[in-house]
This record gives sequence, structure tokens and C-alpha cells, in this order.
Amino acid sequence: MITEKKEFLKPKKVFIPITDEKHKMATTKVAEGDQVKIGQLIAVKYKGKEKVNIVSPISGSFEGLTQKLDRYNNITDHIIIKNDFENTYEPYDKLQGDLSSAVIRNRLADFGIKEVSVDGLFTDIDFSYKINHIVVNAIFINEPFISIDYDFIKDNAAEIVDGIHLLKEAAYAKTMTIIVDKFMDQEALDALGEELSDTDIELRVINRKKVDGADYRVIKDLTQEKLQPNLLENGVIYTTTHAVKMVYDAVRLAKPITKRLIAITGDGLKKNLLAEVTIGMPLLVVTAMLGGYEKGDLNLHIGSFLTGHQVENDSLSIKENINSINISSFTPQDEEVCIKCGDCNDICPAGILPQNIMDAELRNVNERIFELHTDECVECGLCSYVCPSKINVLEWVRRAKRRTN
Amino acid sequence: MEFKMIKPPYKYNEQRSYKRLLNLHIALLIVSFFALVLKAFYFESASEEEFKLSFDILRSFDSFLLLIVGVLTSVIVEIFYSLNEGTVEKFYQYKSYVDPINTGLLIALLLPSNTPIYVLALAVIIGVYIGKIVFGGYGYYIFNPVLVGVLFAQISFSTNTLVSGTPLLVLKDVLSGATTETFNLTRLLLGHYTAIAIGSTSAILLLLVFIYLCVTKVIDLRSTLSFLLTIILISLGVGYITLGQGALNFSLINLVTGLTLFGAVFLVGEAVTSPTTRETKIIYGVVIGVMTMLVRLLGDAAEGVVFAVLLGNLLTPFMNRTVTRSNKKRLIKTVTYSLLIVIIITISIGFILQGRLQESYEAMAFIGGIL
Ligand code: SF4
Ligand code: SF4
Repeated sequence: MITEKKEFLKPKKVFIPITDEKHKMATTKVAEGDQVKIGQLIAVKYKGKEKVNIVSPISGSFEGLTQKLDRYNNITDHIIIKNDFENTYEPYDKLQGDLSSAVIRNRLADFGIKEVSVDGLFTDIDFSYKINHIVVNAIFINEPFISIDYDFIKDNAAEIVDGIHLLKEAAYAKTMTIIVDKFMDQEALDALGEELSDTDIELRVINRKKVDGADYRVIKDLTQEKLQPNLLENGVIYTTTHAVKMVYDAVRLAKPITKRLIAITGDGLKKNLLAEVTIGMPLLVVTAMLGGYEKGDLNLHIGSFLTGHQVENDSLSIKENINSINISSFTPQDEEVCIKCGDCNDICPAGILPQNIMDAELRNVNERIFELHTDECVECGLCSYVCPSKINVLEWVRRAKRRTN
Repeated sequence: MEFKMIKPPYKYNEQRSYKRLLNLHIALLIVSFFALVLKAFYFESASEEEFKLSFDILRSFDSFLLLIVGVLTSVIVEIFYSLNEGTVEKFYQYKSYVDPINTGLLIALLLPSNTPIYVLALAVIIGVYIGKIVFGGYGYYIFNPVLVGVLFAQISFSTNTLVSGTPLLVLKDVLSGATTETFNLTRLLLGHYTAIAIGSTSAILLLLVFIYLCVTKVIDLRSTLSFLLTIILISLGVGYITLGQGALNFSLINLVTGLTLFGAVFLVGEAVTSPTTRETKIIYGVVIGVMTMLVRLLGDAAEGVVFAVLLGNLLTPFMNRTVTRSNKKRLIKTVTYSLLIVIIITISIGFILQGRLQESYEAMAFIGGIL
């Protein structure tokens, strides 16, 4: 279990990506040389009509634009801000008491709090869909491969619970659920339980030691309908405790997202720890402060082990949607032949048949791919995880999906 | 710094195909060893009341020879093939021997101990070459190569691979009312009877191996269990209809002798040739169970497992290409329908055996005659 904690909150410069795969267009709202404060609007990115604000995580001067690698291994535009270490905030009101939906939505939009949890099944915090359920997962994304202490939940139980209520208000949702692990730190569970006692937030306990898509079943239970790859279409906002804490901070404390708690792990590093890192800080600055890398070929993996992304270079800057960084020695796995054991079919939480989809894709029969409900795949990665032949089944399913689309 | 990239997922669970193959390998070696040892024990006096157990290792020498020949032939065929293909380097590691040895052993274990050696060698060559290599090797074949070899031997050399007086054959006579017979359960459980194959050995041993292979996930519990349950249900039902009291014994002998348990452990649950979803796995087990019992009860042959599993293999691609998804509703439906079908078949076989169908047909004709 990782318990050591360290702060990396004094970057000289930060690099904020303003475009990404989904949002290809962006405009900057400041000119070179301008002074910016924490929370000040520096850019807006667009996807069609929809726009997302980007605010500054530090105070300092705007130094222009550059092209850099982002966490999805794409080269995108980044804003450079030089830190003046003054920590001056753009003034916003702290909003107390009962708030209307519009007020909360406006505040979240002002601070651009949307894509905080991007791994696996998690959805954006998006109010353009009709939302019925708020589901919050308190479990660290890479449990059980990496265990962390849950001090964050212990210290912030009240804030998390309030954050969930704020989300519910904002979305006009009907139910609230929080998912915890059977093996989670008892103190954290107690703290959470105490705060939950007088609320109508339902507590669901799952066993994260079994990697079997239990969260999918919890949500399916709630909605009682076929789940879409994007859960927002089922009226579900599914996010993490870190995200609801950010919602709380934004609304109640008028604080934008300035930092993120990240588990930085792996045998490629001199030290494994939980790091509190300022948004926009390049990863290589953080790893250099940790003492650099071990020798040999290494792998840089961002996010969930089952669904995350690998990046070819450590120059990427930290974003609020990074929760886990793993730098490990590179061990290529030899793919063996499919022994038709059916393990992948058994585990699939969506109830579709990845092995048969793979077979259909190999035989190039579109009709069959269609018939096998390939579009229901939520890309959870479990099929590849269980395969004893180490075949990347999900990649085949993705290929089939692309072909039939 | 630059990093190497692989496509996620980044983690896999502990299951490995090769580990499963190795576990099967170990299980097969254990079964072969004990089959030989158990064969070496024999009863000195002919009468069953006087238990005077003796041990003579030479008694299992012919079986031992068969196993060795099976393994060697299989390995040699594979090595010859890879010499031709230029991939012989892989045979520097033991890893590449595991699957050929498994196939060779299985074919030998599935033939009786009086099989001539050339028949076995031919069976292995046919099984490995036509059953496996032609399809592209391990993982690609449609029919279990072991069964291809065994079926070839049974059909082409039927007199050489014939065993008379096995418990199942005796049972057939009992059913038709020709004889009565008392079986000694201990001897059946220990594998002391005229066995149809070397591998048809002690039920206790096979059961232990079964548990080991289930725990290590080599074989799938759903197909094997539905196979065994089908056999139990049909034999119980047919036994009850035809014999009344003796149903339990009838069912027990069907379960512990013949290739029932050997088939359940090494043939039915074999992953490559069985379907890939849980519903079809259940259907697969039921089909094999029903076919086995049909051959045993109505056919001429002593044993139907080999043929039944091959029939199951034949249905596998069809089943794999017709299922569309798997969920609880479908599972319940599959189980209910399977149960119904098994019950109907049980009743029909029972009536056929008793000649009641014939009677009622004649009665109908009689009525028809009057009208
Ligand atoms: S096909 Fe694979 S990735 Fe898609 S839902 Fe099923 S298990 Fe998950
Ligand atoms: S888990 Fe892997 S080996 Fe097993 S059926 Fe699926 S793809 Fe094939």
C-alpha cells in the first residue's frame, strides 16, 4: 500500500493543453504578457456548439502557446504560464446554503469542471443529458493492482457528501449512490458512513479484488436498462470522489481545480508515492524530483491499467483527469493462440461475446458482427484482462466496431 | 525520456494458456502412472470371495509399451512436420513437447491394452496429422485430434480394438434379461475390471484429477457437469423404467466404468473443441451425454463417448456461429429446455428398451384393424 505523500505545488511554468481529441478548436482569452490569476479564464475549447472553459491553475504571466504531447499521446496546443508564486485568486463568491441548479451549473461551467474522470466507465460531468442517477466511485482506479491509503476520503468525507448533493441538485437527479470497496481502509469507511447516515445516498459495497466489472452491475441495477457505452445516455453521471470534491471546492469555496492527487507508481521509479501535483506541471519535472528512472526499457501508463493510455514521452503535463501514473519496466507479452476457453465471454459485463466478435472480425462477416451486439461494448478491457493467451481481445472488438460503424 | 508503448490493457490475470496445458500434462502423467500401477495388481484366485491381492509389474508392461509408443509417435510426427516447416528450433524447449505428449498419451489411454502396436502408431499418426497439423496446430483444430485417431483405430481395426466382457456390455445383457450379474463396487471404484481402454481406470483417481483440473481451470465445469448430470439422469430414469429396484446400481455402473469419467475429465471439457459461451457449453455437455447413452443403450458398440464427443465437436462451430449474447434469461431457458429434453429422451429410451413402444404400436394397429 502506498502511504507516502508529497506535494509538487511550486512549478516555475505550467503547460495547459487547450485542445484534445474531442475538442479540436480552441480560442485563447488572454494576450501574451498578460497577468493571470488563479481561476481566470484563459481559453475556451469547442466541440460543435458545446464549449468548455479553461482556467488558470496558477497566477503569473501568460507566455504564449506551444505544441506538446498530451496525456492521450497526441500533439496538441498548450498554453504556457509563468508562475509568479503570488497565488492571487480571481474573485468569485463562495456559495453557501441551498443553491438552485442554474447557479451550480454556472459555477461548474465557469471553472470548466467537466472531464475529471475519464477512465473506464466514468462519464463527464455533463448536464446536457437528462440525468436520473448520480453514481460516485470511492475506489482508487487501479485497485487491486495498486492500493493506496484512503486518507483523502477520511479527511474530506463531509465535502464529498456535500459535493454529491450539489451534483444531484444541478442535474435534477433522482438517486445518489456511492460505491466503496469491501477491503477499503476501515477508518475511511467509518468517516464516510458517519456523513452518509442522514442522507439518502445509497452505499454499495463491491469486491474490487475480483476484477469483474462490479460497478457496471451496480449501475445496471440502478437504471434497469441496457447500458450504452456512454452512460450519460442512460441518465447516469458516474464519477469519482475526487471529482465531487472539486465540485464542492468550486461551489462552496470558490476554488477552481489547481492540483490533483495522483498515485505515481511502478518499478521504473526510485520511489512510489501519492503526489499532489499542480495542474499543468510537466511529468518529467515531477519524476526528476523523485530521483529519476531506473535503467532499462520503461513503459509510461496513464490511468486505469485496463483501459488507460500509454504515452511515449514524459514531457506531458499533468491534468485534472490523471489519477494514476505508472512507470514500469517493459515486458512484452507473447500472444498465444486463442484456446476458445470462453473466459472473455464469461467476464464481459455487457453480456456480449468478445471471442465470437473476434472470430467474426477475422472472418470479415459484417452481418455477424452486427448480430453480436458489438455496439454494446463499453470498452472496459476485462476481456483482454482475463484472456489466458494474452490476446488483446478488446482491440479486436474495437476493430469490429469501427468496421460496422 | 522516451518510453516503449504497448496497447492496454497493461495487466493480465494469472491464467495462462500454457499453464493450463502443463496442468493437463501433469494430470495425464498421474493418470497414466496410476493406471499402470493399478493394472499390475491382480487377484490370485479366480473366486471373488477370497481377496488375495498380488502385484506383478509385468502385467502392465503391454500398456506401458503402448503409452510409450503413443508418445514417441506423436512427438516424432510433430518434429518431422516442423523440420519440413523449418521451425524445429522450438523443440529445444520442453514447452513444445507438452502438447504432442498430451495427444500421444491420450490416444494410447483411449485404446485397450490389447491393441497391436502398429494400430496405435497409425492412430497417432492419423490423429496428429489429420486431426491437428492439417488444421494449423494446437488451438486451430475443429475435431479433437485424439478422437480422430481413436475413431480411426476403432473403425479400421475394429476386431483388434475390441474388448468383450466390459461392465457396460454385461449390463446390456442384463437389460435385455439375458443374464444377471453382481458387481463388486470396490473393484469398480479401483478400476479392477475388464476395461475398454487403458485410461478407463479407477473412478476415485479420475475424480481427484477432475477436481484438480477444475481448480486450475483447465476444464470447464459447465460442459463436464452437464455431461455427467445427463448420464446420471438418463441412466437413473432408464434403469428405473426397465429394472425398477436396480436403477441406482445401473446408474452407478454407467458412471464409474467405461469412458464416462475419463471422457468428462479429458475429452468433454477440452477447451479448443468446445463452444465458448456458457449456454452453449451446457447444451454441448447435454448433447454428448445423450449421444453417449443412446449408443450405450440402443447401439451395438460397447462405448459411445468417443463418437458422442466427436459429434459435439461437429456442432461446436455451428453453435459458436449462432449464439448472439449471453445473459441470465438465456441461461435459465437453456437449463430448462435441456432438462426437458433429457427427460423426454430418458422416457423414450426406457420404453423402447422395454418394447412398450412396440406393444402400443401393435395395439394401435389392432384398434385400427377393428375400425
Ligand atoms: S467486449 Fe470486452 S471491453 Fe467490451 S464490454 Fe465486453 S468485456 Fe468489456
Ligand atoms: S479468453 Fe482469450 S483464449 Fe479464451 S476464448 Fe477469449 S480470446 Fe480465446
